[in-house]
Amino acid sequence: MAAPVSNSSGCWGVPEVYKHHEQRKVCISRPKYREGRNAKAVKVYTINLESRYLMVQGVPAIGVMTELIQLCALYGAVEEYRPLDEYPAEEFTEVYLVKFQKLTSARAAKRRMDEKSFYGGVLHVCYVPEYETVEDTRLKLQDRRRYILRAVHNKAKEKEQKETAEKEPTMSSDTATTSERIVMRHDKASDDDNTGEASNVSKHPSFPPLPLPPWEYNYYGHKTQHGTVSTEDKMGTLHNAIIVTKQQPAPSSSSSQTSSDGHKGAKHRLTSKPSAVRFVPRSTNLENRKRKMDEAAGHSLTDATRNDEPLIGPKLPEPPKLDMEDESLNTTVSLIRNTMKQVESVPDLKPVEKKVKPRRRI
Amino acid sequence: MHRYIPSHVSAHRTHLTTSEAKEQVLANLANFAYDPKNMDYLKELQVTDLFLDMLTEENENFVEFGMGGLCNLSMDPECRDIILQSSGISLVTNLLSSRREETVLSAITILMNLTKPSSRSEITDPAILQCMLRFSLSESPRLRNLAAVFLQDYCTEEQVAQAEQQMKGQQTAVGIPLPEDSS
Repeated sequence: MAAPVSNSSGCWGVPEVYKHHEQRKVCISRPKYREGRNAKAVKVYTINLESRYLMVQGVPAIGVMTELIQLCALYGAVEEYRPLDEYPAEEFTEVYLVKFQKLTSARAAKRRMDEKSFYGGVLHVCYVPEYETVEDTRLKLQDRRRYILRAVHNKAKEKEQKETAEKEPTMSSDTATTSERIVMRHDKASDDDNTGEASNVSKHPSFPPLPLPPWEYNYYGHKTQHGTVSTEDKMGTLHNAIIVTKQQPAPSSSSSQTSSDGHKGAKHRLTSKPSAVRFVPRSTNLENRKRKMDEAAGHSLTDATRNDEPLIGPKLPEPPKLDMEDESLNTTVSLIRNTMKQVESVPDLKPVEKKVKPRRRI
Repeated sequence: MHRYIPSHVSAHRTHLTTSEAKEQVLANLANFAYDPKNMDYLKELQVTDLFLDMLTEENENFVEFGMGGLCNLSMDPECRDIILQSSGISLVTNLLSSRREETVLSAITILMNLTKPSSRSEITDPAILQCMLRFSLSESPRLRNLAAVFLQDYCTEEQVAQAEQQMKGQQTAVGIPLPEDSS
């Protein structure tokens, strides 16, 4: 399979590009940001960075090419591959170029194989879109566009089905700002659809499903005093929303933000706020949240003592579970709570520690 | 990316500057935008506008990440229209002259994504075509490829031929320079 398809503009010939490799300190397929020394901690992925072509470095030079390709093939069909002899390699290692049939396969292979050990060596896997032909690039863009349009189309259909199925308007879980904005967007988005439900969604619901337990009410009441609440939740939720979306299959894929789970419990409507997206640094958000967790944790001490007495009324669980009516937020809360338990004895607020990733190449 | 360590705040040894924190947030948002499942949510947050705002920032990272975000979002028709309505074409075109290769690549891709009947003539302006022609001669394969796709798929042959003529006719190359790090 190493026999390349003869292609005048293909990467399998010896294009001039390779001559540039010698002249340069670093291969073209390893732009500055991929160098370990200068490793950028942040990276934005676009379709231009990804590719069906992967470069695998660090393969021990002990004749395991077949095994390597077999490993790659676990993630999807491999169209072509060859060793990159002209590429600078560490001693006793080889470098391979692997072309997958699909971008999704390359993506999975990169994610799974990068930084993993292989026959005693550590593999470094990165995309090498530089090896694409014009046609490769064209197809890549077209595939991406088709994928997105399909996803958008499916979402629109889902939303339509949801709106016609549910007579009651959807409610948000955390802040009124979220729900009001979602509601407004539903209005906007539905304009083209011309569904009757759209106008109903914008009204306040006449009755919430269940009343909130008192301590939760206090928590939310406390939150409203902070100006950064809405943004903070979104920043916090945003990260986890992705995880939630991925774990949940289709039915709730569009609900990570609308949280239409009326059965989960009461939703509390707060006074609306002007909805400007504020650029609040993550460290501030986390510090705010830790401060609040501190206060919540403080409550837990008093609750513990009260548990011995016979309880009247709603029973407080121990430790007090803060149900934020959202899986992602609950996960966040329990994670932070656990962390807070560990650092409770330490008076200082530990600053957000930025993870230093060792020599990361994409 | 170097970290700013103020000497008088020894307790916060890994303190991020506001700028770096903003970059992280921006990069995170841009990466979220890569997954179409998140697009609805990001649209509600008006993140498209946020990315557009970044394009006129001096901080090159802000620009690059904002462009990456727009590159990811602009394939969605709604986002595309928002960008178009906000003079996106001229904002993005300005960045064809950026020193950052990623920014330039994003710019070309965004222009392609923004193309629809009503915007086509603006996007295939001769100045832009000339820029793409120069890019198609670049040493950078990615730049070459994207420019080639742009010229082949988004312009007519006549438009390209015309732009080529104009370039030859120009005595001094008043062109858009290639990005510095396009190596």
